[in-house]
Amino acid sequence: MPKRARAVRWGVPIAAIAVVAGAVGAGPVIAAVQGDPVLPERTAQQLLADVGTRWKSGELPPMSGTIIETASLGVPGLSALTGEATGPVALLAGSHQVKIWYGSDSQIRLALPSHMSEHDLIVNGDQTWWWDSAANTATRIKTPPMPSEPALPPAVITPQEAAERALAAADHDTAVSVGNDATVAGRAAYELVLAPRAATSLVKDIRVAIDGETLIPLRVQVYAKGAAEPAFEVGFDSVTFSRPAPENFEFTPPAGAKVQDGEMPALDQDRAALREHAEDGELKTVGSGWTSVVVLPFATADLAEGEKQGHGPGLAVGAMADGVLKAAEPVSGAWGNGRLIRTKLVSALLTDDGRLIAGAVTPEVLYEAAGRK
Amino acid sequence: MTTTIDAAGDAMTASPAGGPAIVTRGLTKRFRGGQIAVDHLDLTVPRGAVFGFLGPNGSGKTTTIRMLLGLVTPTSGSSSILGAASPVQALTRVGALVEGPAFYPYLSGAANLRRFDAADPSADPRTVGRRVAEALDRVGLAAAAKKRYRAYSLGMRQRLAIAATLLGPRELLVLDEPTNGLDPQGTREVRNLIKDVAAGGTTVFVSSHLLAEVEQMCTHIGVMSTGRLVAEGTLTELRSASVPRIRVETPDSSLAAAALTAFGLTNIIPAPGEVSAELGDALPERVTAALVREGIAVRGLQVVHPTLEDVFVHLTGEGFDVEA
Amino acid sequence: MSKVGPLGEGLSVSAGVQADSSAVSAGPRARSLSGDGPESPRGALAGVRAGVRLLRSEIGLTFRRPRNLALLGVLAVVPLVIGVAIRAAGDGADSFVGQVAGNGLVLTFAAFFVMLPLVLPLAVGVVAGDSIAGEAGLGTLRYLLTAPAGRTRLLALKYANVVVFAVAACALVAVSALVTGLVLFPVGPVTLLSGSTIPLAEGLLRIGLVALYAAAGMAALGALALAISTLTETSIGAIATTLVLVVVAQVLQAIPQLAVIEPYLLTSWWAGFDGALRDPVATDQMGQGLLVFAAYIVVCGSIAWARFTSRDITA
Repeated sequence: MPKRARAVRWGVPIAAIAVVAGAVGAGPVIAAVQGDPVLPERTAQQLLADVGTRWKSGELPPMSGTIIETASLGVPGLSALTGEATGPVALLAGSHQVKIWYGSDSQIRLALPSHMSEHDLIVNGDQTWWWDSAANTATRIKTPPMPSEPALPPAVITPQEAAERALAAADHDTAVSVGNDATVAGRAAYELVLAPRAATSLVKDIRVAIDGETLIPLRVQVYAKGAAEPAFEVGFDSVTFSRPAPENFEFTPPAGAKVQDGEMPALDQDRAALREHAEDGELKTVGSGWTSVVVLPFATADLAEGEKQGHGPGLAVGAMADGVLKAAEPVSGAWGNGRLIRTKLVSALLTDDGRLIAGAVTPEVLYEAAGRK
Repeated sequence: MTTTIDAAGDAMTASPAGGPAIVTRGLTKRFRGGQIAVDHLDLTVPRGAVFGFLGPNGSGKTTTIRMLLGLVTPTSGSSSILGAASPVQALTRVGALVEGPAFYPYLSGAANLRRFDAADPSADPRTVGRRVAEALDRVGLAAAAKKRYRAYSLGMRQRLAIAATLLGPRELLVLDEPTNGLDPQGTREVRNLIKDVAAGGTTVFVSSHLLAEVEQMCTHIGVMSTGRLVAEGTLTELRSASVPRIRVETPDSSLAAAALTAFGLTNIIPAPGEVSAELGDALPERVTAALVREGIAVRGLQVVHPTLEDVFVHLTGEGFDVEA
Repeated sequence: MSKVGPLGEGLSVSAGVQADSSAVSAGPRARSLSGDGPESPRGALAGVRAGVRLLRSEIGLTFRRPRNLALLGVLAVVPLVIGVAIRAAGDGADSFVGQVAGNGLVLTFAAFFVMLPLVLPLAVGVVAGDSIAGEAGLGTLRYLLTAPAGRTRLLALKYANVVVFAVAACALVAVSALVTGLVLFPVGPVTLLSGSTIPLAEGLLRIGLVALYAAAGMAALGALALAISTLTETSIGAIATTLVLVVVAQVLQAIPQLAVIEPYLLTSWWAGFDGALRDPVATDQMGQGLLVFAAYIVVCGSIAWARFTSRDITA
């Protein structure tokens, strides 16, 4: 009987662990028990049209929420770098949180919290501020962002923007369908599935969850071929459709902070640089749709330089040079010799004659592009 | 085992005041290594007794005491103190000294006693000052009350541990080797203290490996050997249980042995120059006459009453004062 | 959460009467006997009084013990050292900690930022790791239990004492940093991580919030250390194990490839106190942190209880 009493006693912590494990796993379990939410049937075309009208008709409804961005692109050597980085660069790997307050197109606040620091983008009327608490610097952004092109860091993609891009890509080489309804941030949502028709694409499909009630995109997932988990995901973890308190959009540079005028730090420079490249004719794309690849001149020496200059996230590839290059495998073919970098979603070829060819495609497509000089 | 407990419990709850102070039934402790520390112990300590729990070191005395006090869970069997169903319910009426003193070195003697008094939910905090002072006074530590325990000598530590058992009105004192580390003077004081406490009606359960100590203050004795209880009873019972022997000094010991056998004595041990036998109820003078009739040269003759020590050595196979 | 029931019940029963469990005879009779006490109001009140008395004894012991006083001394001195260092170095840094030079209140946050990963866990780990193992090592545990303190009751009061110490330690850090900040630096409205500025009074409120959150995190660590403390008879072993676990958890936390396990580590939620420095306060993050702390307390507490009430006291 003492043995039995002892066993009963240990039942208590076991029950406690079970309860905690249950609470941790409750989200998925409840979702599984509830099954998929049931929304009125809509075909892909109807859905696209409805979304299109809703978007054209003007502003999004006021809301606030938390967006979780998870990237597991499988870029070798990337995590080691971004473990150190804070702010937008860090969004390229791991899981990150962005808080959003949206009043109207002229009232937006995004907050990127990290331990004991925070980056904030606050748009209020004609004023746009970029706040970096670690640097204690407030930057007054000169050009207010165009509504059509919100001045968000490219890595900080809102569901809206991501969906817009995905929808834009939906043309003849894409199979568009409506999948099972999903639950995102506790809300029932349609799931629009965009699958490339080309076999050479590394993308299996892109799934866009669209809120059943407001038709706001709540989540975008990019699945690589042969992977059960999305390679990239951005979506609301929680969302409330009510007008955020006005003080969320008020920003006065705190006493003692550095105040400067400027553009979005680093990001716009990179965009400008890219545009420059394109205008010079150096950057070109080969192919179209899912299988298009970019070709740009690139020498390994540039990588080191780019690293020194501390180029922003747009060309952060430069900063990752060492780790990535180490993982590159030497390849050769009729097109010449080079090194191949493979990730779940993107392949990149660095040719010895100084070109970088990259795309969400199988290496064969890159070789073909490399052959077209 | 449940049934055993209930039977014991019924017996005890029926007459809580009159029942025995300690009862164990089939009490067994097997440690994880597999060795049996206590083996089916059936012990009964009557109320008001001063019970000497005697046994060599390692015979299972301390493990038994730990089981009685609820510190160690028995592997099987049951025990009960003061008629309570579980040790904790009785412990407020029990003062215990288990395996030597243990106190907080950075606290004074008095503060240490207050600490343990606070752990007793039935103790009255309003009288704690008086009770602590009295307890310290009883063991002769009144002068050292404010001294840190760290500075206490071995004997003072032992006295403090005894003081801790006297903090409240106790129906039972369980004292494990109470005179360890005490000088002869201290030993005598503790002996007198135990007699004094027992005179007030408190049952005292004293474990010891020293026979002399137990013999001097106990009314009842239980003897442990390798986890088993080999003898139990009052001092007089145990003494009378021992059989006297007759020892004959003679040059012809083999002849004498034959004569004693012929007379009907048993357990005959011949040795060079002497022979001994269990006397039993036989009269020594008749034995002498018989020997003389056989023409055996009797040089000396003696009736030997074994000491308690001889009895215990016989029971346990070893001496008690190995450490003394 | 309903499963917490058995533990809570056990606690209340034994607070009233010393219903113990280790008993050979924890049969139906024992239960009904022990049930009598708490049911009568007077018995319950006396039980609570006795519990308070033992808790006061525990607290007295904790705060009189030279080693613990030395630990509290270290906790009080570290913010002072940080303050003096910043004062001596001048306001070169642009970071949040650098703001201390401009506003003494910020020193409190800086102190928690510096001390939460290791210094505070050290202090709480020593007291909590020592709580059972230390008594076992001294041998006083057997005298507490034969007093009889009651195993469940003693464990509950030991943990209450750990919580009191954790709160006191965090309050001490906050007060020490506050006083140092007031003496060495100018004081004014506080700039939050989000860039907004709050008045002095609200700043003090946020300091309280940070201290309470930190204390909750330390209480969770205390439960872990208490559970470890019931497993051994050497307090150094329990303390060392606790601190090794804290360090290992923080090393794991720093490895990006192991980001998956990060939400399950106690240490990764301590940093969540910075939620109080955002505008609006990151209640979701801090609330989740508190839930994690509660989960650790329930699981570790029940392990400690199962172990302590069934264990043989042979020391």
